[in-house]
Amino acid sequence: MSAKKSIGKFISDYAVLIIFTVITLAAISPSGLSISYIIQEVITRLGRNSFLVLALLLPIFAGMGLNFGMTLGAMAGQIGLIFAVNWSVAGWQGLVFAVLIGLPISVFLGWICGAVMNKAKGREMVTGYILAFFINGIYQFFVLYMMGSVIPIRNAAILLSRGYGIRNTLNLESVRQSLDNIFMLKVGPFLVPVITFVIIALLCVFIVWFKRTKLGQDMRAVGQDMVVADAAGIPVEKTRIIAIIISTVLACVGQIIFLQNMGNLATYNAHDQTGFFAVAAILVGGASVKRASIANVFIGVVLLHAMFIVSPLAGQRLFGSAMIGEYFRQFIGYGAIALSLVLYAWKSRKAADDARSGLRHGASGNGNGAGGQA
Amino acid sequence: MKAISLKNPKVLVRSILLLIYVAVLVIMLLTGKRHTILIDNKDAGDGSYLAIDGMSVQIDKQEAAEYYPGDRDRALVNGQKHTIKVEIFSDGKIFESSFALPLGQDMVLLSVPKLVAGIEPYIEPFSVQLEQASAPEAGPPQGMQFGGDSVPPAEEAAPTAPALIQ
Repeated sequence: MSAKKSIGKFISDYAVLIIFTVITLAAISPSGLSISYIIQEVITRLGRNSFLVLALLLPIFAGMGLNFGMTLGAMAGQIGLIFAVNWSVAGWQGLVFAVLIGLPISVFLGWICGAVMNKAKGREMVTGYILAFFINGIYQFFVLYMMGSVIPIRNAAILLSRGYGIRNTLNLESVRQSLDNIFMLKVGPFLVPVITFVIIALLCVFIVWFKRTKLGQDMRAVGQDMVVADAAGIPVEKTRIIAIIISTVLACVGQIIFLQNMGNLATYNAHDQTGFFAVAAILVGGASVKRASIANVFIGVVLLHAMFIVSPLAGQRLFGSAMIGEYFRQFIGYGAIALSLVLYAWKSRKAADDARSGLRHGASGNGNGAGGQA
Repeated sequence: MKAISLKNPKVLVRSILLLIYVAVLVIMLLTGKRHTILIDNKDAGDGSYLAIDGMSVQIDKQEAAEYYPGDRDRALVNGQKHTIKVEIFSDGKIFESSFALPLGQDMVLLSVPKLVAGIEPYIEPFSVQLEQASAPEAGPPQGMQFGGDSVPPAEEAAPTAPALIQ
């Protein structure tokens, strides 16, 4: 009975992970892709996306759920890249330049995001999601109207023909894969962007170290119970704001790493799906709204991207249309988030019910006992 | 209101960090600034110098390229200080020189016949309306789809409003 219960618990804890693993493994054969091709693609996408997904960890530790507000950091990173292209700063120096430009913007946006979330405690995810829409409007105004009119843009090639506003797509040729290509290691048939992975590893070390610091412990305390943390003298609101600021700054850097690998910047909508993608990846990796680890990030990125790689071709082979695979990909991406949130809500409610019934049984048991004693 | 004093160690440390931040930004701008050098091998309009009949030109440690009269090619360089090595085929003479490019100039024209003849200035600013290589017709015709890692079509039109408020 207890073995049955533990299997049931394992399945309910890792339902999304199990579903993804089964679907991905089942789709490999019909896709017709070679294993070496899939592995190479997964390595590339791990380097491209892991940093962004790691940015979600600290707000989860602080009990703020999945930070959909990370889109704000992505916008800051894009502004940094626009200025790097504007000033023709190329190579890895261009990336550092973009980070240095984006950093203060992301700190400011993170502070706004954290302050707003403090006014909406318990509803951080939906607040972050809608806040990203709001800041997106300001970003579009800034990039579409301010750049070239109020903010001088010296590179006419990136301006719209009317003389102000940035073009819909920017060629990031000057910084394209400049981080990945610093040291590309050939391991058998695979190319590994070593420096990108070193930076990701450093971020992992930082997260592990940070969790052990006073601030990291405060964040965990706030994440477990805000009232108790407050009673213990922890500045709850300040700690939550710091968690969001760090997440936003990491999202800024992550978006720059992502875009340097892509080599193109869709000025007005590259950031749209950043939050959704990162959230889907961490959930697929077995994380939940309240619990996440570094392992969840890497498992999630590998599984989600393996599925993204194989599903269009599997759809084409099985149903005669690549679009089926594309729809499938979207359906699974959003489905992973929905399933995970539903499971989380169901488990929370079940835990509350169990606790309540336990209390009731305990009370009646105590009553009987008392009666017996009397 | 508290007066800000540089004697306060906190303020001093923050000021130093700010200075370092700005310094790194400037260093990145100076060392990473990309310039396009147009290497030119053409006669002067007034006949004051003639194009070189066969030579190889190497900028910094880049691959050397061969030039014949009327040729013009480009080299992309980062930073301001560079070297040029010219080897003339006819007599085997080698000219080596170093030059600095102005920070604000994205593109310059370097006339090798002028350099070899010792005529100054052999580097002149060159302006052209650059078109971003990928601006139109770049990427597949779909948006930044869920994990698609693709780029949307590029058009000069203003972006559409998000689906939520369309």
